[in-house]
Order: sequence, then structure tokens, then C-alpha cells
Amino acid sequence: MYPAPFRYHRAATLDDAIGRLVGIGEGARALAGGQTLLVWLKMRFDEPTDLVDIGRIPGLDAIEHDTKGVRIGALATHARIARSPLAKQIPIVGDCANGIADNQVRSRGTIGGSLAAGDPSCDWPVLLTTLDATVHCRGPAGARTLPADGFVQDLYATRLEAGELITGVSFALPGKGSAGAYVGFKRCAPAFPTSSVGVQLTLNGDDCTQARIALGSAALTTIRAQAAEAELSGRTLNAQVIARAAEAAAAAADPVPDQRGSPAFKRSLIDALVKRGVEVARRRARGETVEVSHEYY
Amino acid sequence: MGWTGTSVRRKEDDRLVRGRGLFTDDELEPGMLHLHILRSPYAHARIVRIDTAAAEALPGVACVLTGREVAAQCEPFMQIGPPPCDKIRDLPMAVDKVVFQGEPVAVVAAATVALAEDAAQLIDVEYEMLEAVVEAEDALSDRSILHEAAGTNRTWQGVFEYGDVEGAFRDAASVVRIPRMKFHRFASTPLEPNACIAEWTRQGSVEFLCNNSFPGFAQQLLAPGLRLKADQLHIRTYDVGGSFGNKIWNYVYMALAALASKKAGGRRVKWTETRTEHLLGSGHGNERTYLDTEVALDRDGVITAVRSRHIDDCGAYTRYEPLGCVIWSQVLPATYKLRNMRIDFTQTVTNKCPVVPNRGYSRMQQLWFMERIVDICAHELGIPADEMRLKNYITQFPYETPNGCVYDSGNYPAMLAKGKELIGWDRWQREIAAGRKAGRLIGIGIGTTLDSGTNNFGQARIVNPFLPFSGNSEVCTMRLDIEGAVVVCLGTTPSGQGHETSASQVVADVLGIDPSMVYVRPGFDTAWNTFVGHSGTYASQFAVTGLSAVHGAAQKLKAEMRRLAAFMLEAAEEDLEFGTGAQGPEVRVKGTDKAINYWYMANLVNNNNAMLDESLGDVTLNVRHVYRPPFKVPDTERKFGNLTLTYAAQLHIAVVEVSRETCRPQVLAYAAVDDCGTLINPQIAHGQVHGATSHGIGAALMECLDYDETGNLLTATFSDYCPITALNIPDIAWGNIETPSPFSYNGAKGMGEGGGAPLHTMSAAIQDALHGAGVIVTGSHHSAPRLFEILQQPNRDEAVSVERRGGKQGRR
Ligand SMILES: Cc1cc2nc3c(=O)[nH]c(=O)nc-3n(C[C@H](O)[C@H](O)[C@H](O)COP(=O)(O)OP(=O)(O)OC[C@H]3O[C@@H](n4cnc5c(N)ncnc54)[C@H](O)[C@@H]3O)c2cc1C
Repeated sequence: MYPAPFRYHRAATLDDAIGRLVGIGEGARALAGGQTLLVWLKMRFDEPTDLVDIGRIPGLDAIEHDTKGVRIGALATHARIARSPLAKQIPIVGDCANGIADNQVRSRGTIGGSLAAGDPSCDWPVLLTTLDATVHCRGPAGARTLPADGFVQDLYATRLEAGELITGVSFALPGKGSAGAYVGFKRCAPAFPTSSVGVQLTLNGDDCTQARIALGSAALTTIRAQAAEAELSGRTLNAQVIARAAEAAAAAADPVPDQRGSPAFKRSLIDALVKRGVEVARRRARGETVEVSHEYY
Repeated sequence: MGWTGTSVRRKEDDRLVRGRGLFTDDELEPGMLHLHILRSPYAHARIVRIDTAAAEALPGVACVLTGREVAAQCEPFMQIGPPPCDKIRDLPMAVDKVVFQGEPVAVVAAATVALAEDAAQLIDVEYEMLEAVVEAEDALSDRSILHEAAGTNRTWQGVFEYGDVEGAFRDAASVVRIPRMKFHRFASTPLEPNACIAEWTRQGSVEFLCNNSFPGFAQQLLAPGLRLKADQLHIRTYDVGGSFGNKIWNYVYMALAALASKKAGGRRVKWTETRTEHLLGSGHGNERTYLDTEVALDRDGVITAVRSRHIDDCGAYTRYEPLGCVIWSQVLPATYKLRNMRIDFTQTVTNKCPVVPNRGYSRMQQLWFMERIVDICAHELGIPADEMRLKNYITQFPYETPNGCVYDSGNYPAMLAKGKELIGWDRWQREIAAGRKAGRLIGIGIGTTLDSGTNNFGQARIVNPFLPFSGNSEVCTMRLDIEGAVVVCLGTTPSGQGHETSASQVVADVLGIDPSMVYVRPGFDTAWNTFVGHSGTYASQFAVTGLSAVHGAAQKLKAEMRRLAAFMLEAAEEDLEFGTGAQGPEVRVKGTDKAINYWYMANLVNNNNAMLDESLGDVTLNVRHVYRPPFKVPDTERKFGNLTLTYAAQLHIAVVEVSRETCRPQVLAYAAVDDCGTLINPQIAHGQVHGATSHGIGAALMECLDYDETGNLLTATFSDYCPITALNIPDIAWGNIETPSPFSYNGAKGMGEGGGAPLHTMSAAIQDALHGAGVIVTGSHHSAPRLFEILQQPNRDEAVSVERRGGKQGRR
């Protein structure tokens, strides 16, 4: 329960952090909210020699949106995002932020850390894939952007290069007729979801012109359920169409058996969550206010 | 009378809510050493080699201990069970082999906890893997034996048979058969984990500050274990953050801390368990399998006989076991009047964490079994669950059960009526019918349960006739302090139950003063001379044993005060009255203002005794009272006798819906009716009901200590174990009835364990919800993934069969 000894550095600026990470090399890790990293260290799954705390770098925690789009700094915590006007304006963002863990974790954990952790059960990668977001990074080789879709490549592995940091994420404001929902199923607050689903639909009445669906805890990384999207795009939504999409999403999943359930159970959950997500997205597209968050047990 | 029955504000809360409590881990001083325990990652393995050189060389490390060294300095802990249990070498650390994941294999004492953990990582242990047995029935095949000297994994076997079982089955109108049921493994996971501080003093004694909950027992095990005299162990507790029985066997860890202190030259050594250690190695609840159950019923649905085979899984060591092999029989027929029963009971060790007497210990397993029988029979025979109970409930009290236990008092039909009213039974019946029409999986279930308290330790002789245990007792010492304050010491180890408050109420009533004038010392201390072998907090007994001791001591003190006052006031004893006057608590001559206050009396005895007459030579105002319940040694041959003094009862009703989408079981309504006899402090009792109910709901819906086939615990963190929290606790409608116990001086019954009522209730409600889908609930754990599996493969055809004799034939 106590980490192995490490040196602690507090980075003053982004460049300072990158410089230290590159300078120290292999044994260095960036520390943001610590809600994933410190757990690993306490269990001694990981024993870095140096932690470079990026948590106090100024200007990395802004939550902004204008007509062009939304930009969230890497250090914005789940709790701040949940309380921001953005969460009201784009309810799918509130669904995700509010559903993560408990108050304690939400108050410290950051959106950047959630992406960088590369954990298939983390919620932000799923949401950002659903929203077709862009990840902004900066490293020794300068700044670059990467799509959120595919940013997490494998279990605990992302496309970040050595010494490279996430500075923020951005995505377009959903257009007219576009609405979404993020739904998860978990056993209790401090547990990661058993399954989670993000759905974003562009609707004209019941006609779906565009659909994006991403699944969490459904494989070794976040996956996009393209076959399910194809079932919805260009179709008029009805129970049958939605059921086919849900089935396609469940089929795309490749969940691992664990404490949270068997693959068959998790597939059936994905099926149910896709249906629920589509339902909520439809209602929101019609202008209804629908509160959803993660469901417990 | 007086303060009894009023919700006096809890005295303990002032310090606790201000963060001024003193829990073991709060004690910190310079130079103190910290202990880290290196635990086995494997469930069953031989220890080939341990190399501690690198750990010992780390600066800041005071000492490292391995099993060999421990074995050389310790005697194996006493075993309660009959042969072959005596062959089980139970030492606080594994010596040549480990038998469960998490078993200690070495300890490090170092200047900081982090350093101790760093050093432990440098210990090199070579293991040779052995085959693990994790399922009880598999373990009983002796395919792989845990304790080789014992020659078998079976730790106990016995048949409990009463009445005319064969005859009842011969005459039955129907026989219901349930081939297999299973009660799962969980634990109540107190907020404060196990902790202790040990100091092996220069005088060769050991000082302990700890949170052990049964120090009377711990001392008897630790002293011979550490090769010391009992009086050389000074055991203290202070504030304790929950116990639920889980802290009974932390004496094992107390021994390790003591030995580390000894090796470190007598420095104080602190050990505080981490949450993962707690889940791996602090004690789990008993797991039980029920095989070949057969139930005989008459034409009216009255159960006339039950026979079954039970297999109890006690984990890797017997420790408090095999007591669980008899404790369940305190509630043999549950709340039902059947007279014919035959239970063939076997217990086995497995490569899992040893069990502890977890809240509802061994009784809830039996009560769940009986409640399952009642509900399964009701459903299969088409009798509503409430009617089924009314047909079968015991209604005359005191009631002697087939095995000689005496249920003191109760009124189960009244509790059922109250529960139905609280939940809105009739309205729910309509809503459930409508919901089902709409395709919802929704059901209502009743769970009746007993919380038997104040046990007769003589029942231990049913598992081992040679044990020198019987009866029960508790102590209170009380004195009028030098300045006239009433100071009370208890032999119990309160861990949140408000003993300081309840004890004050009792004393206040005896002396006619305000509870705030009574000072009850927090915690337990062997140095107070306020303990016996039974001392501790366990088995729902404080309200009876603890408070009877307090009451007895208060009477003794009062008698001395009366004599003293009579002498000083020159009045007859019967003319005196106790109360509070202008100068505080006093004794006065009735109807006059002639009085003597407490300070004056205390001063007379302690400072000013030449004033006293010789006839008052025995008056010390310092009394000790030991309460002993009226028990006899049970007949061990017949397994017959009164095993418990009081029987509190709980009746819970829940409405549960299983989501068709996600299989999540959701509690739509919950009612809990309690009867623990006369209430001492209703608010405290209410809190206990709420806590026990929450624990039970957590156990039924969320919590399970799951092992894989290699004996690897899959739920070793709270993120995986998911204990219930406020977010998952439904609103609980609370009701209460009082059937005073004729066997306790105050009419109170021990309470607090709640017998696992919600476990029975959830199983009943879920079965009601899923019966139409072809499901019979045969397990006690109902997480969504488990409900998914059962809905995928409804089990009714294999899980139950009904044979109807004469006239109409049964379904199968
Ligand atoms: C009990 C518990 C329950 C939880 N439940 C959930 C849940 O239900 N859903 C969920 O989504 N999450 C859950 N989490 C995880 C939580 O959301 C974490 O906050 C998040 O995964 C990591 O964010 P962080 O800021 O804490 O990152 P840290 O723990 O500080 O870092 C995580 C990793 O990311 C790297 N890193 C951090 N920031 C950056 C950056 N800007 N650029 C590059 N690398 C970076 C670190 O080096 C490290 O490798 C839970 C955590 C706990 C402790």
C-alpha cells in the first residue's frame, strides 16, 4: 500500500515538464490527478524512479466553448467538467463526468490522465471517441493533434511518444438535430463500469442521418461500433432498427471475463445500453431534458 | 423505568464526530517501529527457501522474522475441535507451507511503514506450488490435503437428529426435494481494519493496544502461544471502528507484532492492516452448501420434517471453528414449529482465508436455509408466502425447540402484520400483478429471522466433549471515585454500539441520577480486573450479559452506599432514598432535607475513615459484579440443551425488481420490523437495525469473496468487492415491537447481528420476481451477472421437485 521510493518534481511549465520527462527518460512518469497512477504505485505494479507533477502547470485546466467548438484542458478534473455550463449545454458530457467513480476521485482525476492511462474501463476515451474529438499533444518534437478514436492503441498503451504530454482535447459543438447520451453500468461508485456506451445521433425527426457509437470495457481498448452505426445511419429509427444496432454493437464487443461478469453478460449489457443510449439521444434531440448517469449494482 | 427506553444522546459521539476518538492507528510516537507482513501470493505451496539478507541489510530495518523463527518461539494455538483438529499446527506464520493466499510468510519491522514494505519486497521466497482445493466438496475428497498431519481436510462431522423424521416423511402429504443450495462467502469489512501495537517489556510481559473484540478469549490463546502467563499480557482497547466478529481472531497478528517487538529489543511495534490485507487475510464469513434437502409437508402446507446434509467451508485454519458446526443449531428450526429434523453436518478446510464469526455467525446460514425451504415450498405448492409463514410460525412462548433451546418470547405473526402494513403489502400486490402483466420481473419477499444472543459456551462440548467451556459471563466493576463520581468499567469491547451510553442509563436508573453523572470508561483493559474468559463484544449479548453485570454492580454499590448513608444520617436503611439534590447526587432521608452527597460518602471511605464504625469495615464503594446466565451443560450425546438465552427476531419485507435489460436487482421498497425485547436506547437499537440491514443487503446483492480455481481471491480491493455504501442502501422503513424477555432482568434481548434478515428477504423477493420465469433461488448472492446466468438457464426443473402423495400427482 506504499509506493516504492521515487523522486518528486513539480513542473512549472509545460516545457519544463517535457524537459524533465525527456531528461530522466524511462523511469519518469507524469503525475496529474494521481487517481490511476498512485493506485498502481501503491500496489507496486509500477515503480518509476521519478514523478513529474504536472498538476500545477498554469493554464492547462480551462474549459471553454464558443460557436466553433469545445476545448478542455488536460488538467480539468472530472468534477469541474461535471459542474461546468458545458455539461448542461451538451448533456452527454455531463453524463460521462458525473458517472465517474465517487466525489473523491472526481475531484482529483483529470480528463488528460483518463486518456493517457489507456485503461479500457476509463470513461473519457469512450466519450471522446463518440464525439470524434481531437487530442492535443506536445512533446520534445513539438505540438501535434491526434484523433481520440484510436488514441488508446492497446491495453494501457496510447499513441503518445516518450516525453509527450496531452495538453487538451477539442471537439465540435454538436450541430442542429444532433444529440447523444453516455450510459454505463457499474456495481458501485468506486468501481469502474462493467460496460459503458456512448451514442451520438444526428436526427431529422426519426430519420437518422449520422450515428456514432463507442463502447467502453468491451475489449482491450475503447472500440467504435461501426457496424452498429451503419445499422442506424440513413434509417428511420424504430424498435427493430435499434435492436439490430444493439445486436451489432454487442457482436463487435470482445469483453474479457472478470469479476464484473462473463463475456455473455457484458454483451447483453452492451445490447441494453445501446438501446437505452439511443432512446435517450432521441428524446434529447426532441428537446427533452433527460438525466442519465451510470447505473449501480 | 426512568432512563431505560429513552434515546439518550450517545456519549461517545462527542469525541467521535469531532475526530477526537483514539483508534489504534492514531497512536504514534517517536521510535515506534512499523510492521509489514509479507503474504503468500499462492493458496497452496511449499516454502522451499526464504532469503531475508537483503531486507535485513536495508537501513532503517530493525528486524525480520520468518516462520521458522516464529515456530521456535511459539506454541501452536489451541484447537477447539476434536481429533484430527489437534493435529493442525496453527501458528501465526506459515512455516513449511502456505495454505491460503495472504497467509503471512515473513514480517519486517522498520522505522516507517513504507520502509518496512520496501524491505519486504527484497525478501526472496521460493515456492513449490501444490494443488489448491477451493470447493468444499472437492476438499472433502482429500485429493489435496492442507494439514498433512491431520490426514484429512474434514474437521468435523455429526448428525443432529430430533423427533421422528422417518415417520413424518412416511405420513407426508407432499415431499419437496431441493438437491443443492449454497450460501456464499462474504465479510462485514469494518471501517477500521485490524490493528495492534505491541511492546515486549523488559519485565518480559507484553503491552497491547489493539482492537481485538474478544480479549477474554484472545488472552487464553495468546498467553500459551507466546509461552507467557496470562497475567503477563496487558491488553487494552479504546475506540474501535466496527468489528462484526471480524476482529476476534486478530490475536494471530497480535502475536506477530509481539514477537517482532521482542526481536527488536522491546521497541513498540505497530501493525495496521491495509484494506487488501483485510480482504485477503482477516477472516471471512462461513460458506455453506446444503445437499439433498427433503421437506415433508402435511395436507395444509404445514412443514412436518426436514432432512438435509450441510457442508460448511471454514477456510484454511479452524481458529474459532469448528464452533460454527454447532452454533447454527441455536436456531435449528428457525421460527417454525416443525419437530422432526435430521441434519448431517460436515465441515472442511479449503485453501481460502480462514473464517471468523462474522455478523450473524453460523445462524444466518441456517436461517437462510430454512427460509429458502419455506419459500420454495410455498411457491411450488401455490401457497402465498405470508400464509405459508402463518401456518408454520411458532406462536407459544417460551418455546422449547426439538434440540432443547428455549425461545424466550416473540410474536412473529404481529411482526408480519406490522411489516405488511409498513410496506403497503396490498398495494404492492396490485402493483406487482400489473407490472407482471406488463412484462416486469417484480416480486415481494419476506424474511423472518432470529438473532440469538448470549450463548451457552457449553455448546462447544457438542463439537468436542472434552472442552473445558460452558455457560457465559460478563463483568462490571464500579466505584464511587475519591471525589464522588460514579466510575464504571466494562468487560466488553465496544466498537460503535454505544456501550458507554447504555451502561450509563442503567446505572442512572439504579441510583436515580442523570446518565451524565456516570462516567463509563471507554474501551477495555485487563488491568482493570474487569474481565473473565467470556469478556468481549460478540454474539449479540451486551444488552443481557453486559448490562446485567452493570446492573448487578450498581445494586452492590447502592447497597454499600445505603449502609454508609444510614450510619451517617442515623436513619433506617428503608427510610432512605436516592436522588439528586442541591449538592448533586445524594442519599437522603425520605421526606426531609437530611442528606449525604456522593463526595461526602466517597471521602469518608477513602480519606476520612476514622469517622466510620467497625461494622462498615467491608464497605469499599468499589465493587465487582460477575453476571452468569442460568445455563446447564448440554447433553452432548443427544446434542440437546439450551444453547442461548434470548431470541431477538427480525421480519423484513422487500419489493425487488430485476431489470429485464441489465439484470440489475433493484429494491423498490424495504421494511424492517425488529423485536429485541425491551429497548434500552431506541436510537441505538434503530442504528443497529439499519446497519445490520445494510450489511445484509450488501451481502445479498453486491458483496462476494470470490476465488478462482487456483485459490486466487478475485475481490481483494473495495473496487472489486464493492461493499455497500450509502449510495446503494435503499430507504428502510423501520418498525418495532417489544416482547420482553422473561430471562433477562430488564426484558432486553441481545441484538445487533440481525441474523442476516436481508439475505433471506432478498432471496425470497427475487424468487418471487423470477419464479414465473422458471427460476428457483438456490444461492444467496444475487449480483446482476449471476441473475443474468440464471435467467439464461432457468433452473426450476433441476432445482426442485415435488412429490404429492395420494390424490393429485405433482408436477413431476
Ligand atoms: C476508486 C476509483 C474508481 C475509479 N472509477 C472510474 C470510473 O468509473 N470511470 C473512469 O473513467 N475512471 C475511473 N477512475 C480513474 C480516474 O478517472 C482517474 O482520474 C483517471 O483514470 C486518471 O486521471 P488522473 O488525472 O488521476 O491521472 P494520473 O493517475 O495522474 O495519471 C494516469 C496516467 O496518465 C499519465 N498522464 C496523466 N496526465 C497526463 C497528461 N496530461 N499527458 C500525458 N500523460 C498523462 C500518467 O503518467 C499516468 O501514466 C477511478 C479511479 C479510482 C481510484
